[in-house]
Amino acid sequence: MKGKAISIHSSRGGTGKTVIATNLAATYANKGLNVALLDLDFRAPSLATVFSKGIRHPVRHWLNDVLDGQCTVEQALIDVSEGYNLRGRLLIGLANPAIEAIRNIMEKSRAWEVTAVKKLFSLRSTLFNDMNIDCCILDTSPGVQYSSINAVISSDISVIVTTLDSIDLKGVENMLVELYDTFAKRTVVLINKVFPETRFWSSERQKDLISQMKKVLKHPIIGVIPCYCDVLEAKRTSLLAVEKPSHPFLRNLEEVAEKLEHVI
Amino acid sequence: MAAKTKSSTLNTKLLLTRLVDALSQVNEKLDSIIELNGKILKMQEEFLQRITNKSYPMTELKLEPDALSLLSLPMSLRKTVMVLYKLEKATADDLANETKRLRAVESASANQLVRMGYLKKRREGREVYFYIESPMEMRK
Repeated sequence: MKGKAISIHSSRGGTGKTVIATNLAATYANKGLNVALLDLDFRAPSLATVFSKGIRHPVRHWLNDVLDGQCTVEQALIDVSEGYNLRGRLLIGLANPAIEAIRNIMEKSRAWEVTAVKKLFSLRSTLFNDMNIDCCILDTSPGVQYSSINAVISSDISVIVTTLDSIDLKGVENMLVELYDTFAKRTVVLINKVFPETRFWSSERQKDLISQMKKVLKHPIIGVIPCYCDVLEAKRTSLLAVEKPSHPFLRNLEEVAEKLEHVI
Repeated sequence: MAAKTKSSTLNTKLLLTRLVDALSQVNEKLDSIIELNGKILKMQEEFLQRITNKSYPMTELKLEPDALSLLSLPMSLRKTVMVLYKLEKATADDLANETKRLRAVESASANQLVRMGYLKKRREGREVYFYIESPMEMRK
């Protein structure tokens, strides 16, 4: 994989989008790739908490500042590779969690959003051409918001994370038709947190579930990941790909990572 | 009898004189109406020239081509805007290289977006560049 941007999106919150984004980034970095993980969920930033162990200095520049033209992307990225002993580089860009910063984002004009999407394209170019980044993962805010649509537009492929909950699925169905198909974006769906018993299903039964979902959503299903209680119980400050690399959740995610490399 | 004839001739003369005077007044009024009409036509022509002449531009329409606004545009126009998110400015040839559509199609799409107020265009030497203008760039 060379110079590809993957956006991780969902129709609603609570689908496990951030757990997927952070561990996917760490999985690629563990394979020796240089990865940039950007938190574009400006209304509910979370990466600062997830990577708290790897952030060694107070954060001075945020992605908000990059989009505002107040600093460069190089200044805003934090290298956490050493802290997690990863084979490749993992750089993270954080969204400012301060209430004032969130309020500022909510007050931005449509003209600012146009500049923001242009900045994301220019940021992409800096990452891939000047900083030798192989893969950029964009963790977005759920639903239809400027930050998430801008991320989708500026990425090469979008992974929509959903559960089998009917409200989630209906939301994904609508987003696929009204957003992704409209922008003609390459999109795959990752079904997460499915019933724990699916782990013990035969491969035929699992294939059957995938083909049913494919019929409903009319887009490729990149993987089905069962719900693991210990993943749900784990504190958000832990990075499973580093702390429990042999966990079955990670094995599922590694398969997804490999499939994604072939799809892009 | 002769006196009667003379009186009748005088009346006719007077009548004709009055008629000539009246016709002359009508003629003057018609002249002033024609003159006024000419002035109105001239003002209309000047106004039409003013709104079509480049030296008297009308107030320019400007719309923001943000991601949500793109959803309401036809696919052909949306593609052009999405290329301009990536490129700072682009000629119809640059747009065609990115979208893999014909240059003429891109030129038509970009000009349509300019008319709608989403894009701007400017000439640099022999090339015409299309671009998105945003307030943050205008401040630079």
